[in-house]
Amino acid sequence: MASEDEINILVLVLDVNPVWWGQQAQREPKFTLSTCLDALMVLANSHLVMSRTNKLAIIANLYHESHFLYPSKQWKSGDEISGSTDGKYELLSATNDLFAEEIKKLMDRTEISGNQTDSLLAVSLSRALCYIHRVSKEVQAGQDMKSRILVIKASEDSTLQYMNFMNMIFAAQKKNILIDACVLDTDSGLLQQACDITGGLYLRIPQKIALAQYLLWVFLPDADQRSQLLLPPPVHVDYRAACFCHRNLIEIGYVCSVCLSIFCNFSPICTTCETAFKMPLPQVAKTKKKKVKPAN
Amino acid sequence: MKFRVQLQCKNLHEYLKELSPEVLDRLYNHPATCLAVFRELPALGKNYVMRMLFLDHPLPQAAVALWVKKDSQKDHDQCVSVLTGLRLWHSQQLQGGLQGFVLNPVFKDNLRIALLGGGKSWADEGGNLGPDRHARDVESLDRYAMERWEVILHFMVGSPSAAVSQDLAQLLIQAGLMRSEVGDAPCITSAGFQFLLLDTASQLWYFTLQYLKTAQSRGMDLVEILSFLFQLSFSTLGRDYSVEGMSESLLTFLQHLREFGLVFQRKRKSRRYYPTRLAITLSAGVTASPASGSACSALGAIPGTGDTGFIIVETNYRVYAYTNSELQIALVALFSEMLYRFPNLVVAQVTRESVQQAISNGITAQQIIHFLRTRAHPVMLKQTPILPPTITDQIRLWELEKDRLQFTEGVLYNQFLSQADFEVLRDRAQGLGVLVWQNPAHRVIVVTPHGHSEVKRFWKRQKSHP
Repeated sequence: MASEDEINILVLVLDVNPVWWGQQAQREPKFTLSTCLDALMVLANSHLVMSRTNKLAIIANLYHESHFLYPSKQWKSGDEISGSTDGKYELLSATNDLFAEEIKKLMDRTEISGNQTDSLLAVSLSRALCYIHRVSKEVQAGQDMKSRILVIKASEDSTLQYMNFMNMIFAAQKKNILIDACVLDTDSGLLQQACDITGGLYLRIPQKIALAQYLLWVFLPDADQRSQLLLPPPVHVDYRAACFCHRNLIEIGYVCSVCLSIFCNFSPICTTCETAFKMPLPQVAKTKKKKVKPAN
Repeated sequence: MKFRVQLQCKNLHEYLKELSPEVLDRLYNHPATCLAVFRELPALGKNYVMRMLFLDHPLPQAAVALWVKKDSQKDHDQCVSVLTGLRLWHSQQLQGGLQGFVLNPVFKDNLRIALLGGGKSWADEGGNLGPDRHARDVESLDRYAMERWEVILHFMVGSPSAAVSQDLAQLLIQAGLMRSEVGDAPCITSAGFQFLLLDTASQLWYFTLQYLKTAQSRGMDLVEILSFLFQLSFSTLGRDYSVEGMSESLLTFLQHLREFGLVFQRKRKSRRYYPTRLAITLSAGVTASPASGSACSALGAIPGTGDTGFIIVETNYRVYAYTNSELQIALVALFSEMLYRFPNLVVAQVTRESVQQAISNGITAQQIIHFLRTRAHPVMLKQTPILPPTITDQIRLWELEKDRLQFTEGVLYNQFLSQADFEVLRDRAQGLGVLVWQNPAHRVIVVTPHGHSEVKRFWKRQKSHP
């Protein structure tokens, strides 16, 4: 049984890329952003209800910015909170109202330019890590803290952020923070790696309509309970890395022997650490010849 | 001969299990109770409920059993029995003849309401009273709650300054925490000492349980009170609520809560009340049982309850308590020998005599250790284990010293005229399995009290037909 003095933090990172959700609404009118938000609120509420010490944060993730939906800067605990009028637990209704208000504001503010369907995932995840770190500083002695991040991902991977993303994953691994991923559309190689490295769960939702039920089933239980439950089997992880020169995902490439940067084609000077590789293959043969001569 | 009375503090489940099914079903009519019961379920149980919350059809039992891995089957069985015992779900015949589980519809609806809204509001809001001219902030509420609660504790240790109402004194006596001779002021019992050593949350929960026990005899409706209590524990600190629409017995209950410091009401006739932190942390004491060593230090983590750690224990058996509170000093003195007293600090020594004195007062070693651990100074909290192992081991050893004797009630048979008589009776008693002790040299046997009549009858028959 989870003891009372264990703090459980869940950070939800939600992809709200307007372009992608707009296209989605045309493809499947039944599953829109608002249905997804409803499902997410069910998960958020259930998490808060599980135990008094559970904490929650929600970060929205767009293609050009990431934004804290809850807890937001405007809200202070001393402020007048509108009470619940429909029998909902007061804490939950306060959370939900705030969440809805913030996302409305965010949507009004966002201007759609171009049709980028990728999002700044690495930025949101690093903010999540920073938030968890800040909370862990405030934890009192003798209290345990467990934290995890759940990414709800809709749009495509952006290989542009490969480096930042990998750094973020390793930071999370060091801090014992689980990263879970719930993918709505195409599989994401980066998130598969993130989940595999940090020990989280990766799931591509087969039926989007049943999102709430999947969230409650797979992503609500914390790491302790997961060891008891039968959950979807782990997926085959796509461990391809992105090259540093063109951001392509490659299986075989060139690696700098000094800084381990990855390139898809050969270049005589490493662009990351500026090491000059003195001995490309044809020259090796020449130097050998020179060495041989004085010996004669 | 003195039998030790161990203070029994049930958790919410054990309490609810004893209620009759009708009472349980009525309890689930309120979202707050559903939420409270849900929160106290084992982790796996919470998961099951969550997964079934939005399903309208019963699930086959075999399918539910497949939710867990093979090696945690035991947890699954325990979970099923808890959920069935609390009537949160019941079995139902499925169409194919299989057995299925379906959540208690009342519970399901109300938990959904608590989670997502869509029902009636729990209570009338203070908002429609307009803003309070005498509004209270959180700190003053905390202070108030702690003062009230300490008055009760002071009353128990017999401080002359502490005075409580007749009702409360009566309740303390009924709970077995105090004992009253006719015409005398009540004095504390050994259960009372054990009570004092608990942390505030457990004290509060124990006290509430005792209150609920007597509630029905006061003509109060148990369901109404419990619902209100849980509703309080889910309210927001620093907000005012209105007494509008509360029944007469609930208003009396509110006055009692006011005396315990669970709610703040400016005047008896005031139309609004503020729940205090004590009320809100009430259900935190539910899971913690005093016997379990890990029982929550959560209270220490809640600022303002006055329970933050102040005790440092050193390996040389010295106890330093940074406190001014007479009560806390008195508590430390229960099991230690006071050495020095300074304006903000007392120094005491834990000795064999002082601990054994405490143990003969009915306090267990476990309780002493728990007291020291839950009140440990933040500096102590940083080290693992929190208390020096030499101290905890030694306190336990001192307790074991007392336990060398084991008392068994019995009836003595002696002055047998012959060894043969003795042996016949002894063999008979042994055959019945009621023999406690024998000494053939002195021809003495002891049998258990319930075997006494049987042995006596046998002996009479034996004498009449030699």
